[in-house]
Amino acid sequence: MSYLTVFKMRLRMELQYRGAMIGGIFCQMFFGIVLVALYRALYAGKTQSVPIENIATYVWLQQAFFRMMFATDTELTDKIKSGDISYDLCRPVNMYAFYYARIAAQKLMGSVMRAVPMLTMAFLLPKGWGISLPVSPLGFALCVPAFVLGFLCVCALENISVAFTMKSLDPRGIAALLNLLMMIMSGNLLPLTLFPESWQKVITLFPYAQLLDAPIRLYTGEYVPADALRIYAVQAFWVVTLIWLGVVMWNANRKRMIVQGG
Amino acid sequence: MNTLRLYIKSIGMLLRSHLQYTSSFIMQTLAQLVMEGGEMMVVILIVDRFENLKGWSGGNLYFFFGMMSVSFYLTELFGRGITGDFPSMVRTGKLDTFLVRPRGVLTQVMCSGTDPRRITCIAVGIAALIMGSRLSGITWTLTKVFILIESIAMSCLLILGLFMIEAIFSIFSVKSVELVNAITYGGRSACQYPIDIYPAPMRALFTVIAPFALTLHVPVSWILDKPLYGWPMWTAFVTPLSGALIFVIMTILFHLAMRHYRSTGS
Repeated sequence: MSYLTVFKMRLRMELQYRGAMIGGIFCQMFFGIVLVALYRALYAGKTQSVPIENIATYVWLQQAFFRMMFATDTELTDKIKSGDISYDLCRPVNMYAFYYARIAAQKLMGSVMRAVPMLTMAFLLPKGWGISLPVSPLGFALCVPAFVLGFLCVCALENISVAFTMKSLDPRGIAALLNLLMMIMSGNLLPLTLFPESWQKVITLFPYAQLLDAPIRLYTGEYVPADALRIYAVQAFWVVTLIWLGVVMWNANRKRMIVQGG
Repeated sequence: MNTLRLYIKSIGMLLRSHLQYTSSFIMQTLAQLVMEGGEMMVVILIVDRFENLKGWSGGNLYFFFGMMSVSFYLTELFGRGITGDFPSMVRTGKLDTFLVRPRGVLTQVMCSGTDPRRITCIAVGIAALIMGSRLSGITWTLTKVFILIESIAMSCLLILGLFMIEAIFSIFSVKSVELVNAITYGGRSACQYPIDIYPAPMRALFTVIAPFALTLHVPVSWILDKPLYGWPMWTAFVTPLSGALIFVIMTILFHLAMRHYRSTGS
């Protein structure tokens, strides 16, 4: 399988940058501590229906998998800008699947390598500051498939924004707007569990909530195991829709592509 | 004065060059608006849900948020050379060309970058300030206006000084150092809320090492008639000066570090 080979090669590349990773981990840890301190101070004034331990867990899982959400493949956007992408077009592979494999490898390795040490450190923090254990073994078991579906979803989203970049040649336009939308709607800036109840009903149906919010809620027990099938269905719906949309965009791009430069 | 004129002229030229790509510029400026608007929305949602934060009302929180975003993005607007581009200047060897010209390196670095897209972020910050001022019922006097301006100016110098730490590191290590982001961007995230809500170690960090508490929180709390830790009025005038102090220290260190600068050779 050639797509599997692309995936494996990217995994190895991601492993090269260890120095930058350690700095990134400490920076992300600091952001996590700041956020938890803020929510703890807010909770001191007015107790909420969502316990503080769940909010801390939410913050840590979001911070740990930050790279999965926001890492953009700058090499790929450079390729588009310089016109080198035409070499990739000559390969006897499906472009969409080729880039999907590439993005998936980058996101998986980048985030797992950071998440493991970060979550270990977060477990060592005192209760109410760090991450707590999953609500039940069943909850943890249910959160894993949700996480996988969310991962497929975020790769499909990234591929769509690459397709947009192909069109506009400037990764900072629409692609940047999509990224910002993701920051707010995925619960990275403020846990979705703290949004007004009426908003939550709508936001949790959006694709952005499927990435991390859905698995985290299964982990902390905000979603009971009985809900699991319904959540998987929503996630699977978005995975299929987004991949379909991406394939359509890539096919359209191929037909009317202008390669820059010589 | 001559340096200042040079700076204004360079920034003017850079502005015009940014405006050449109109549609890209508008798109990116809008993206900035969405970003800062999103940050503001988070504060609004927090106020909506929690009503107050250890005695600070919603209006107070908007005011703090506005102060931080105006100071931070003014610095990015006028000091882009330091806050963004410096590590890449070292890496690509662009810095070498500065060394042969008859001007200070720091002046030239400052002249080499501006980020006009930040203007929308500043607009959001000003909107937050106005909203915060209305909701907190501040009665403005000449002294308060003076302290407000002093606080913004000194916070800008502080932020510039903190970004210079990263610049100094990159002179030695060539690569940009992500760790410093913890006190620059991390400082912005943490200190857009009042400092006294945080546990002691964090308060110490933002009072002694990156004194946002002194340049921003002390004067702002006084403006809001809720002096921080009950400190007397004169502290609101004096403590912001620590921003200038940090800037001066970092400038000296920067020049010392430049003596050890070895070009990448590219």
